[in-house]
Amino acid sequence: MRLWRMFAISAVLCLLGVGTYAQEEINSLPRNETLIAENPEGTIKNAGWFNIWAINAGGQSTGLQQLAMDTFWYIDPEKGIDGVWENSLAADKPIYNADFTEMTVKLRRGIYWSDGVEYTADDVVYTVQTHLDNKGLRWSAPIQVNVASISAPDPTTVVFKLKKPNSRFHALFTVRWNAMWIMPKHIFEKVGDPGKFAFDPPVTLGAYKLHSYDTNGKWFIWERRDDWQRTSLGKFGEPGPHYVAYIDPGPPDKRVILQFNHQLDIIHDTSPEGMFTLAKQAGKTSHGWFKGFPYAHPDPTLPAVIFNDQNPLFQNRDVRWALALLIDIKAVSMASYRGAATISAIGVPPTGTYPEYYDKPMEAWLKDFELDTGKRTIKPYDPTEGAQIANMLRPSMGDQIPTDPDRIAASFGRGWWKTDPQAAAELLQHAGFTKQGDRWMTPDGKPFTIHVTVEGDGRPVMTRAGSMIAQEWRQFGIDASTVVAQGTMADRRGAGDFEAMIAWSVETWGGHPDLSYFLDSWHSAFVAKQGETQTPRNWQRWSNPDLDKIIEQIRGISFDDPEGVQLGLDYLKLVVREMPTIPLMSYNVFTVMDETYWTGYPDAVSAPYTDPVPNWGNSRYMMVKLKPRQ
Amino acid sequence: MPAYFAYLVRRFGQFVLVVFIGVNIAFFVTHATPIDPVEQTISATTSFGSTSPEAVALMRQSLRDLYGLQGGLAHQYFAFWLRVAHADFGPSLSAFPTPVSVLIGRALPWTAGLLITATLFSWAAGNLLGGLAGYYRDSRLLRATGFLVMGLHPIPYYILAFVLLIVFGYVWPVLPISGGAQMNLPQRLDLAYIGSVLVHSILPLLSLVLVGIGGWFMGMRSLVSNIVTEDYVAFAELGGVSPRRILLSYVMRNALMPQVTGLAMSLGGIFNGAIITEQVFGYPGLGSLLIDAVHAGDYSLVLGITTVSIIAVASAVLLIDLLYPLVDPRTRIG
Repeated sequence: MRLWRMFAISAVLCLLGVGTYAQEEINSLPRNETLIAENPEGTIKNAGWFNIWAINAGGQSTGLQQLAMDTFWYIDPEKGIDGVWENSLAADKPIYNADFTEMTVKLRRGIYWSDGVEYTADDVVYTVQTHLDNKGLRWSAPIQVNVASISAPDPTTVVFKLKKPNSRFHALFTVRWNAMWIMPKHIFEKVGDPGKFAFDPPVTLGAYKLHSYDTNGKWFIWERRDDWQRTSLGKFGEPGPHYVAYIDPGPPDKRVILQFNHQLDIIHDTSPEGMFTLAKQAGKTSHGWFKGFPYAHPDPTLPAVIFNDQNPLFQNRDVRWALALLIDIKAVSMASYRGAATISAIGVPPTGTYPEYYDKPMEAWLKDFELDTGKRTIKPYDPTEGAQIANMLRPSMGDQIPTDPDRIAASFGRGWWKTDPQAAAELLQHAGFTKQGDRWMTPDGKPFTIHVTVEGDGRPVMTRAGSMIAQEWRQFGIDASTVVAQGTMADRRGAGDFEAMIAWSVETWGGHPDLSYFLDSWHSAFVAKQGETQTPRNWQRWSNPDLDKIIEQIRGISFDDPEGVQLGLDYLKLVVREMPTIPLMSYNVFTVMDETYWTGYPDAVSAPYTDPVPNWGNSRYMMVKLKPRQ
Repeated sequence: MPAYFAYLVRRFGQFVLVVFIGVNIAFFVTHATPIDPVEQTISATTSFGSTSPEAVALMRQSLRDLYGLQGGLAHQYFAFWLRVAHADFGPSLSAFPTPVSVLIGRALPWTAGLLITATLFSWAAGNLLGGLAGYYRDSRLLRATGFLVMGLHPIPYYILAFVLLIVFGYVWPVLPISGGAQMNLPQRLDLAYIGSVLVHSILPLLSLVLVGIGGWFMGMRSLVSNIVTEDYVAFAELGGVSPRRILLSYVMRNALMPQVTGLAMSLGGIFNGAIITEQVFGYPGLGSLLIDAVHAGDYSLVLGITTVSIIAVASAVLLIDLLYPLVDPRTRIG
């Protein structure tokens, strides 16, 4: 027994010794000068590959695109550090000729690569020419489709000659999440095939340079450049963190544990339950975009029920509307996000500047909107749905639930469609469907069956939303069920191998009202025939002549033309009438920030200067706002 | 000896056949996957950016050329065997153009280190405790040990992994719960790095060992329980041979043969990686690599890992089959 006792005591002593060691998760870097953020890409298979221009070869959000890369312009999905638009490597906004076949860019001076070489027009020309000359690079295709030639009349000016008019060509060089980054000519011109060069260590234009990385791809550490003033971020002041580590912390539970232990300053995303746990048990140091419920940052992305509109079942808008009126959005919000969702009835996400541009102006029209069920007209919009979700949560969440109507609208969304099974039945009957017993039958006498494709474990929140919607349809007498696609989601979506799916076909700039970011790809010219692969993003394969007219009008005006917002409102009214997809909510990301070592994180109320989600290129703005606490 | 040589040739022929059939199945299964690596790449590339449909169509064509996916299945089949003959699995499609062999080579030492240690430790401890428990059936301590290891055995190892994670990562945060070594520690063979690797491997190792011991324990205990009733053991006891010698030389030695076979099979299987352990603890290795490859539709990498695994398991079995007749003269080789 004595032996066993000694063994037990030794084991405990060893663990205590190891414990002291285990708290120091970063070797020889001062923790109070190091920001640790999650890289949602996970483990990078090819860690020593920093050539971001080679397609899919290495990681992107390892800090590479956030801290090391740069390009002409940034549009912030929130308010921006100095407005939503930032001229980064460009000195001014893009200058187009009258027919949008030429774009001139004036370049900023005094920007240097991390090896001391000055950035000039030669780098830009080299970047574009390399993509024109090589097929397999990340941005080869959009460059080859659009650019006829590029020239640099002087060291600070580049001129793109386009193959055809394109009033939104600058979007290729404008960071939302990423954009086409500028290459260092003096490095790449010596390496031969640019697609087979690892670029390790990378020479950077951003305010940081590579410090070290794990060859197994678990972590990457970046160090602030001594000459950070000679980067485009320099005009905003010195970046706070001396070092920034991007790590793969593993599954959501582990991310929460690591933040409890103050070993992970920024969680990219966790489950609603993980967020609630952190808010409850570490609320003094950890917070989300909203400092109270619903915590999450609403990304400028719009999850929706996407129908395959080429499927005869869904070609009648009465059917699509009937299915919308069977959804209880409150139940979907509770099932998916445990109530922490920001709902949207219209075809843009209620995030960034869009509530001002679109949600508020649409409100009166939505209240008056009438739907003909075939037997009567109804007003399906209920402006209080968001407030009802808030009221449902108040008994359990107490003071965390706002009472101010504007705060409620920003947190939970505005209105949505009233659940109306009677109107849904009338619409289905109008479309030729019949009810036999408790089952609905299609016009050709078969049971009305809908398979709702969901992604599964990879996107649990959306999967739970799909399950709830299928359940609501089933309760009405439709034979609805979910199909878990797991890794085949992208293939099924592209191939049109689905009846309905929970996904998104709307992504926006967030900070800028121009909708061409996603809407241009909805033109009927890009709708694939049945059996052929659909290109992003019109996954619903919906075509409509009125929509084509709107898209063509947007193409004909400039990016900042105020007419663009009016055309955007026309699009929103059209998709309310036609309901090609059923918009649900914004994609809420539970980014959690720990203030133990750093203060100055963005938040919805007092500092909405950027999106806190740390894999976005825009998250570089956080670096200049963060200040060490200790 | 001629009989053994004939046995060796016959057994090697079976080995080649098993590998051939196994790799063929792996080839056709991976190529039957509905996940298209080109569509996965396009999805990853375009999901955050504004890419026009025309550009996406051009990108799709370029990627098919780049990845060498233009030929039919037959063309790819023969190209694959040609590459395998040169010990080359081609470039990874999800980490293009890095060769599959480089990615496997990078992950393999971690998986091998963790799983060989876990397997050997479980095997040694399980067999030792099982042997003792089977022989000293009245010992309370050994009965309690048996109760413990058999209680842990049915627990799925990933459940145990999560329990360990919560206990030693959150409740009593004394052990690292992520990665293979401390961040920013130079990867070289010095005391600091080796120590860090060892500390980081404690929890993954425990999750495998605690569950793994039970199987060996039960197997060995039942083998020993049978052997102790054999006449030669009774004669040894009557002849005054010491219990320790009876246990080690008469009982456990004879009981070990099937356990050695099981060990070889287990060691061969390490090339599959401990997928969930690696995922839970963020431990580098082949398991995580395989999962990533499956999700990305990277069948070059999936095929590379499965081929290595098939060859490893088949080789381990072959080795045991070849050694058996030399170790145990009762084995029939005719």
